[in-house]
Amino acid sequence: MHKGWILPLLLFLPTLLAGIGMLARTPRMAVRLLTWGTLASAGASVAAALLALNQAGELKAMGAWLMVDALSAYHLLVMAVVFSLSGLYSRSYFEPDLIDGSLSLGTARRFAALWFASMAAMNLVLVSNNLGLMWVGIEATTLVTAFLICIHATPTSLEAMWKYLLMCSVGVALAFMGTLLLAAATHGSGIEGADALLWTELRDSAARLNPKLVKIAFLFLVVGYGTKAGLAPMHNWLPDAHSQAPAPVSAIFSGFLLNAALYCILRTLPLVEALPGQAGWGREILVAFGLISILVAAVFIIAQHDVKRLLAYSSVEHLGIIALGVGLGGLGYVAALFHIFNNSVSKSVGFFCAGSIGKLAGTHDMRKINRVMALSKVWGGGLTGSLLAIIGAAPFALFLSEFLILHTAIQQGHWFIAGAFLFGLALVFIGALRHLISISWEPHVEPVTPHRATLLEGAIVFVPLATLLMLGVSVPAPFWHLLEKAARILGGAS
Amino acid sequence: MTLPLDTILVTVILTCFLIMGTTRLLTAIRISAIQGICIGLLPVAASGAHTSIRVALLGLVIIVLKGFAFPRLLKRAIRESSTSTEMMPFVGSTASIVTGILALIVAFWIDSRMEFLPGSHSLVAPVAFFTIITGLFMIVARKLAITQVVGYLILENGIYVFGLAIALEVPIIVELGVLLDMFVAVFVMGIAIFRINREFNHMDSDQLRNLKG
Repeated sequence: MHKGWILPLLLFLPTLLAGIGMLARTPRMAVRLLTWGTLASAGASVAAALLALNQAGELKAMGAWLMVDALSAYHLLVMAVVFSLSGLYSRSYFEPDLIDGSLSLGTARRFAALWFASMAAMNLVLVSNNLGLMWVGIEATTLVTAFLICIHATPTSLEAMWKYLLMCSVGVALAFMGTLLLAAATHGSGIEGADALLWTELRDSAARLNPKLVKIAFLFLVVGYGTKAGLAPMHNWLPDAHSQAPAPVSAIFSGFLLNAALYCILRTLPLVEALPGQAGWGREILVAFGLISILVAAVFIIAQHDVKRLLAYSSVEHLGIIALGVGLGGLGYVAALFHIFNNSVSKSVGFFCAGSIGKLAGTHDMRKINRVMALSKVWGGGLTGSLLAIIGAAPFALFLSEFLILHTAIQQGHWFIAGAFLFGLALVFIGALRHLISISWEPHVEPVTPHRATLLEGAIVFVPLATLLMLGVSVPAPFWHLLEKAARILGGAS
Repeated sequence: MTLPLDTILVTVILTCFLIMGTTRLLTAIRISAIQGICIGLLPVAASGAHTSIRVALLGLVIIVLKGFAFPRLLKRAIRESSTSTEMMPFVGSTASIVTGILALIVAFWIDSRMEFLPGSHSLVAPVAFFTIITGLFMIVARKLAITQVVGYLILENGIYVFGLAIALEVPIIVELGVLLDMFVAVFVMGIAIFRINREFNHMDSDQLRNLKG
């Protein structure tokens, strides 16, 4: 049987689950569906990724409109990890609300339905070979996730939602302009009308595309999708949305929504790189956006008091690091892809712990939170651990991927880039460490009864952190091969 | 050059100016509906006697959505949130019109610099650029959340005209997907405005500035 059948399944399964979510009869049922359905859908993503990786060339379906290659397979795997963790976490996040009955049936239903709809939209982004369809997927993620931000309607969460909705819709509209320009670049290259948006077609005839139009298109795409990916200076919506959303939603925002938008930019990079005599032009733009994001985020991290906003700015920084790594090329491609996994995992855990600590302490203000480990061993320890990982403390995998990017910059003789990168990292390290020490180790004023966590809660915090520690010490060969395979696609190889 | 096509394009330019100049919210929504109908007729007028079923059908969907469905959703949002009908602009109407004239000049200048663009009709591309600039202007220069939605619609209209200008055959599924996204966007924004109004007792996006830093 043809293996391509699994790709439409990635779209239908979450859509079906969204429909079932609307029919849940109790809030508890909706939350349970959220957990198990997410695991099922993530399982399908993993299966699709493995099928695609174990065959030569791409896995295609529906007349080449859907396609999975090593790059999208890798993203599918990261997405499966982030969503599975968030699905499991949402169970414990909503547990108190379920017990005291503050989660109404309507809200729970809507949350489950929108959650699965966002999974379907992100799957669409990753599996579509048609760049127009990819755009439809990205815009759909904006629309379905908007209401996830203000599931508890407060003035600030509504404000965050409006900013998110408007900035991302307008930004992504510019990306559509870029998509049209890219398709226009195929005039006279021998691609038949309706195939002009198919990525595989564009890649195969990249050398014959109109170079000026491809370059203008790339600018529009970087600014457009970059808005959604949270690259500075288009990042204004991000800290608000991430800090106002419920913790499981913040986790998928930081852990994967940003990466899905960046993925669209990564898709178009090989087309620009393949233009005759233009190698390096598109990458320079990514380096610029990457460095700006790192430095802007660093400044805001130093001045930050809200722990969730701190994590949000850290996402701006890390997306910048990924863009920088890709922009450097060569080993930088592999390091940047490695960093995608590291950032997504550490950021998800960070948001879980920050969300739960926030619930226990009744505030997200880091000046009012101290001795988090006395509040809860699991959430406090997890928050300390994930913050250490996020700022790039040594044994964690993020240190390794950041080091590899720095190494690439120095090896290529880009001393200025290396210096600015190092400066940004140092600012973040010092700025965040100061907050970390104050929330983790400063003496506690009043004694508290520590929160007792379940085994599952311990597992979703410490298994990912342990994985990051292990990856920081040694990267298993199959994982490294996967990264290299995906990096070859970024470099323009088929 | 065909007469119906040019008439429609000039109407689009005029609607842009009218939207920039008006201070009444309902008028702005009505004009955006007229512009939506023009946008729907555009591909039909461009292909003239050779109109295929695909083009005609798509035109019909666009007219129904942009000419009738979107304005209705926006009007409902105004009614339910019982907002004022004045636009409360950051930039007054005279200054807006002057900006519009400058934008039109810029649009023609951009078009003259993009001679490598595969275009089918000399007026289509500049009108597209002008409409896009108008949309962006409406988003940044007006206070009310609902006028920002109108601006977003105009921006999308401009991008659609641009797609026509470069004579691109966008597959119908993608085209319908884009329209579906737009429909959901307006719908979601409408609900958002209703909820914002309920919490804040106004829809003045200028006052949405508690989140900083």
